[in-house]
Amino acid sequence: MSKEVVDVLIIGSGHSGGMAAKMLTERGINCLMLNAGPIADVTKNAEEKPAHALPYRGFRPPSRLPHVFQSNEFNANVWVDEKEVPYTYDPEHPYNWVRVRLFGGRSLFWSRQSFRLSDYELKGKSHDGFGDDWPINHADLDPYYSKVEQIFHVTGNKDGIPQMPDGDFFNDKTPWSPAMTRLRSVAEKNKFPCVKQRRAEGHDGLASSVNLLLPAAFATGKLKVIPNVIVRELSVDKNTGLVNGAHFVDRISRREMSVKARVVVLAAGTLESTRLLMNSKIANSSGVMGHYLCDQTYGVGVTCSVPEARNGRGSKITGGGAIMPRFRNLDTKASNFLRGYAYNCYSSTGAMDARCFATYGQELEDKLAEYHGSGVTLSAMCEVLARYENHVRPSTDVVDAWGIPALHIQARYGDNEFNMARDAADTAEQLAHEAGFEVLAKNSEPNPPGYSIHELGTCRMGNDPKTSVLNKWNQSHDIKNLFVVDGASFVSAGWQNPTMTILALAMRSSEYLAEQMRLRAV
Amino acid sequence: MAMQRRDFMRAMLAATVAPAAVAQMEAQAAAPTPTKEGPPAPGPVPWMRGLDSAKVDPASTISPEEIGLEDVRFFTQTQMDTLRHLSDILVPPLKGKPGAVAAGAPEFMDFYVGESLPDTKMLYQGGLDWIDSESRQKLGKAFAQTNETEAAGLIKPWLRTWMTDHYPHPVHERFLTVALHDLRFATTNSQAWADTIAGKEEKPWMDLYWSPVQPDISRDYFRPAQHVVTPAKHPSKR
Repeated sequence: MSKEVVDVLIIGSGHSGGMAAKMLTERGINCLMLNAGPIADVTKNAEEKPAHALPYRGFRPPSRLPHVFQSNEFNANVWVDEKEVPYTYDPEHPYNWVRVRLFGGRSLFWSRQSFRLSDYELKGKSHDGFGDDWPINHADLDPYYSKVEQIFHVTGNKDGIPQMPDGDFFNDKTPWSPAMTRLRSVAEKNKFPCVKQRRAEGHDGLASSVNLLLPAAFATGKLKVIPNVIVRELSVDKNTGLVNGAHFVDRISRREMSVKARVVVLAAGTLESTRLLMNSKIANSSGVMGHYLCDQTYGVGVTCSVPEARNGRGSKITGGGAIMPRFRNLDTKASNFLRGYAYNCYSSTGAMDARCFATYGQELEDKLAEYHGSGVTLSAMCEVLARYENHVRPSTDVVDAWGIPALHIQARYGDNEFNMARDAADTAEQLAHEAGFEVLAKNSEPNPPGYSIHELGTCRMGNDPKTSVLNKWNQSHDIKNLFVVDGASFVSAGWQNPTMTILALAMRSSEYLAEQMRLRAV
Repeated sequence: MAMQRRDFMRAMLAATVAPAAVAQMEAQAAAPTPTKEGPPAPGPVPWMRGLDSAKVDPASTISPEEIGLEDVRFFTQTQMDTLRHLSDILVPPLKGKPGAVAAGAPEFMDFYVGESLPDTKMLYQGGLDWIDSESRQKLGKAFAQTNETEAAGLIKPWLRTWMTDHYPHPVHERFLTVALHDLRFATTNSQAWADTIAGKEEKPWMDLYWSPVQPDISRDYFRPAQHVVTPAKHPSKR
């Protein structure tokens, strides 16, 4: 029997939880990390197989994971099952909530794109009047971004582009293929930057909390982890109003247990952290908890072919990728939308996708052969405005497999998103034409909200406790020993993939927390 | 690489505690340890060794599809006839590779769609009924009776290019685009296809398959959760 009080309870093991564990344990603080799912061992749990040996021939198992468009039969068992942990939404406005509860969370599988937010995002309201500024600026985050970029071994170049701040990168001196050179020169004529991608290479092929952050934490001897436990709610001391622990349930045995802690750090992922706080009914004196849900719109862009690369000449012409960071609404004003978008550009010396050709049979095979190795795609990542109305709340009639109230998600894209998406598709088409590429497919309509797997906000930070849940240190305004270090703290989404910023915020917040604990202020 | 993984796993195991170690539990009276007498109970080790060395020969294991398939279960007979013909038209045998029919793709789709969510079922049932009805109206015959040219006349106007998980919206375009994708997918990922390309340059789709990780053994026993709150439905009072 243990009545031990843990120093810091960390809920979640992904990027933000891993960073908190590393920072706190390295500063001498004992931490207990709870994770909802099991520890995966790729040598025991995964095996190379051919699709034809699988029951569903590689298709996503029928009726499973309808909202995880990224799923297939091979990876179906890594995602959170929607029947086990359901969520609800208005059928008119679907939401794709994509989650991983394996130890390490989505940090096991993320796409590695590594961009910093700029002051165009952090001070967005100052720039264009919409929404709210973050309570911090790029200068505040800069030293943390640099440390994160080193730990994650981010490759890229110092490009001197204000809307995509430079960092401490491992230089990318790979050459540009002729096709990408053509695209770059067209971009340059339009005054759009087009530079090497920025990618977290990590170590040994993995860039995750489990191999880049947690080993250092374990090495201190001050981190204990418990996998397979689901936190039901946080417990609060009625006298002080401070959090003092958590009630949790063993995932497999269903046994109910609890633990006492001096400090709680939530790192369960944006919506799970918010869900936990809402189910615990705490930390929401502002009334804005659950609100300002945002992400980026994905799915919009063009797929093209480079005519000179057809009929077997692809390998000499195509290949490689680039990022074209936001170029809208910096010095000029777009006519019908605020903020901006970036393009992921990539070209392949490999096979074309059959979707590029509206035909079948021999005609399709002929096209695939002719166009092999000539593909170039421009795919947009568009900022979604943070709006109060896009929100989450606990469901009133649906619970998960452990009886914990599910989340109801009420969010929809609006005019700004649809207008921006159309501009992104049209501009991509224009660039392709100017570069002499044949446009084969074009999509002007975003995929469903949440598809980006970059859900952000709902516990936003701010200087004013009346309009924000957290202060600029990711600390709850209401409860000083409660921190939320994942994407829930974001004030706005930007176009940038959020991982670098989540890591930098978690690092900065944990450093602050450690100091506060040293001073006995928390 | 293996060394680092081992180190990591060792560190993880050292740091992992059972929930009971830090949880509040009911008080338990300490039970006396029984003295060990007599022969040790048969442990797992000899049994595991025996099993480990007696592997089932992979060459002797075959897929159930190789010995025969069940009857049509989900689609009606007419829908199945339509689907078989549509499969043959959209994914014909080419250059020695099996087409959708030889790959058992129509039967597979009958099984797969029959297990799928309502919107997939409706898309396929509706689409197959529609194209058959188009054929009867415009050509005076069932779709399953059309030749290649006639079928192309019914199909091609509705095909679209698409990208990034974004199928066309209008229902006829959507059905034919989805069906083309699914039938090609089911064909290229079939045993028949793999047998044809065995030993050649083209390789079948190989990938990392994840088994359920420590599956929740009581998963089937929990109350099935409702999926979507519709505006017309009032939450039940508990």
